[in-house]
Amino acid sequence: MTATPILSGSNTAWVIMATAMVMFMTVPALALFYGGLVRKKNVLSVLMQCFITLALVSVLWVVAGYSLAFSDSELIPGVLGDFKWALFNGITPNSLSPYYISDAAGRIPHILYAMFQCMFAVITPALIIGAFAERMKFSAFLAFTVAWLFLIYVPVAHMVWSTNGWLCKLGVLDFAGGTVVHVNAGVAALATALFIGKRKSLKAFPPHNLPFTLIGAAMLWFGWFGFNAGSALAADGLAASAFMTTNTAAAVAALVWALMDSLVNGKATILGVATGAVVGLVAITPAAGFVNVGGALAIGAIASAVCFVMVTVVKKKLGYDDALDAFGCHGIGGLVGALCTGIFADPAIWKGFGGNYSGLLYGNSRQLLIQLLACLVSVVLSFLGTLIILKVVDLTIGVRVDAKVEAIGLDITQHEERAYTVIE
Amino acid sequence: MPALSPGNTAWVLVATALVMFMTMPALGMFYGGLVRKKNVLNTLMQCFITLALVSALWVAFGYSLAFSDGELIPGVLGDFKWAFLSGISPDSLSPYYVSDSAGRIPHLLFAMFQCMFAVITPALIIGAFAERMKFSAFLAFTVAWLFIVYVPLAHMVWSTNGWLNKLGVMDFAGGIVVHVNAGIAALVTALFIGRRRALKAFPPHNLPFTLIGSAMLWFGWFGFNAGSSLAADGLAASALVTTNTAAAVAAIVWAITDSIVNGKATILGVATGAVAGLAAITPAAGFVNVGGAFFIGAASSLICFFMVSFVKARLGYDDALDAFGCHGVGGLFGSLCTGLFADPAIWRAYGGGHAGLFFGNPRQFLVQALACAVSIALAFGGTLAILKVIDLFIGVRVDSKAEAMGLDITQHEERAYTVIE
Repeated sequence: MTATPILSGSNTAWVIMATAMVMFMTVPALALFYGGLVRKKNVLSVLMQCFITLALVSVLWVVAGYSLAFSDSELIPGVLGDFKWALFNGITPNSLSPYYISDAAGRIPHILYAMFQCMFAVITPALIIGAFAERMKFSAFLAFTVAWLFLIYVPVAHMVWSTNGWLCKLGVLDFAGGTVVHVNAGVAALATALFIGKRKSLKAFPPHNLPFTLIGAAMLWFGWFGFNAGSALAADGLAASAFMTTNTAAAVAALVWALMDSLVNGKATILGVATGAVVGLVAITPAAGFVNVGGALAIGAIASAVCFVMVTVVKKKLGYDDALDAFGCHGIGGLVGALCTGIFADPAIWKGFGGNYSGLLYGNSRQLLIQLLACLVSVVLSFLGTLIILKVVDLTIGVRVDAKVEAIGLDITQHEERAYTVIE
Repeated sequence: MPALSPGNTAWVLVATALVMFMTMPALGMFYGGLVRKKNVLNTLMQCFITLALVSALWVAFGYSLAFSDGELIPGVLGDFKWAFLSGISPDSLSPYYVSDSAGRIPHLLFAMFQCMFAVITPALIIGAFAERMKFSAFLAFTVAWLFIVYVPLAHMVWSTNGWLNKLGVMDFAGGIVVHVNAGIAALVTALFIGRRRALKAFPPHNLPFTLIGSAMLWFGWFGFNAGSSLAADGLAASALVTTNTAAAVAAIVWAITDSIVNGKATILGVATGAVAGLAAITPAAGFVNVGGAFFIGAASSLICFFMVSFVKARLGYDDALDAFGCHGVGGLFGSLCTGLFADPAIWRAYGGGHAGLFFGNPRQFLVQALACAVSIALAFGGTLAILKVIDLFIGVRVDSKAEAMGLDITQHEERAYTVIE
């Protein structure tokens, strides 16, 4: 079947909307989630980091990021694209996307695919913010984000999602970014938390605005429908299936977290259900278009239980200060989800869509090994690359604010603004 | 042979996400802003956990019991045929559709669209018992209410086998199934649980949250009502027009009434008015013309204003955030008006011809009244029975000390806002 591909107006309508929903995930959703968790004196700095990441990565993406990640010619075979599509050179509004999931459905515009991918490139470095919140210099943060986008995100995206990527050719399954987005950002978060050190304070850091955090979590849940169901790149049954698995995994993960919270700590907490839902969403991301409802229930429950232990027990024991649990949620949840994809992928899902992807449970043990390999590549690249970038930034700019500045807060010292007025 | 329409699928994917957005963050912020600082987390938590709880129960059994084409009780309840979405694959087409001429959406998508309706309905009731219900009792109540009250009514009204559906009841997007149902349950809960303990009034702790939440509800309601066309067609556009018009008129009428009666147009007033208008237009959205929408918006606003500011104060029940006053009364009024104002011209191109009393079909009004009566009876009796059982085992209400301290700290051991840092 080699019919000339044509544009589908319907698929385009859905992916335009999905692109906007993924943008919505970084700001306001993630920003509210993270912003509510920090202390009053640092809320603006966290919101600002999310917002400027949206601006910064959006510009860098159209300039060179998209081309280096997705171009069909390569600087390093299997690892990095080239500058062919820099500044969207050669891509006109009526160019069709060379990337699509199911061949039966019509294509979307190439420019739209580039923008959909842009929002993924925006949210990935933004997730890392949770690890170094309340203590990183704004200038160092900007330098870090630019370097991390090109040195870590772009090569991993190319390896996993570009048709020429070596992991893609090996058959890795990553529906909406479990390895590229979550493992990648989560491991970078761990490296950053270890490098920058613990926050200075005598006592705990109670979230200054938990309503923000829960509202942010709900908005993330909403935007995630664009993230996962949008990754079908078509308005079809596969998108509907990804929608269903996404909602189911988020729901179960929130419930399991609440249950464990009340068993271990005596009460179901707001912070707990918000965290649990995000963990479920993270874990279902690579699996969303490959598993059935049973797989979604299992992935949500497993990821929630594993991350609960990581965040409440392991983090305390090891003593690293992953301030807002970017590693505990995204790193661990992403790893659990990427591996579970290799276990629960059900070949019946793709029957009507020209594919056949099965995991260990359906007799394909090789898939789990490929998933494991892709996770390893992402973990190693992200951990080492992040440390190198931080070292260089630290030698030139300095990564961390000094103790006095940290005590005063980043809002006033980095931006000369206060979040809330006291009297009027 | 019915075929999939990617265009309709695109729209209903978005609409499903929009309806999810209505429960959290929209309704969570609307209600959360209205309560006192010490209870805001509990209110947000109730909305959020309802989303999680009902989503899980819906794919497990809820969808099948409400919409399956096999039945345990003919006309009233489906069976377990589609439990855990069994037999529904990604390329299965939805057996439910509004207009036969348009292509279908995936069956999984219809199940998820309905999931979000099943989520928001019990969440609406939260407004009645806010600030004084035990969290454990709330969870038990929500699970029981979903299966005992929501699922049968959804089957009766929306399933092709439902007896009210066969009778020809018109409920475009859930005036009866969602709003009358939740509103009556809210009244029963408020009566059962009793008034909040306090010497004075309960000023909303964060009115910006409430107005932002109400605007987000308005936004999400486009998915609720225009999405209920299950197609991206003129019927969806028509429902969008009536929804926006009724919300707008209701907000304006509430502001005018407010300034005549109380001297000032209030933020709380326009927020409440818009929601009352949205609740009232819901059953009618795809059946009435713009004139019908004007009338329904204006009249529902006046009636709800009267209910909330006079009747409630006179009768003394403590429907804390006016879940009955807005959704119950607005939903009832809208459902009856659908039987009056349904304009057959709306459906001319869509294979229907649904007419109300004013267009020569008095029978429709009687069918609407019957469906409302069934919903009231079921929601009243079912809610009361559920509450009674829970009260015997868990206890519905927190003790007076916990109520004074607030539910955030006593039910969740958390505080919403820090004072110093």
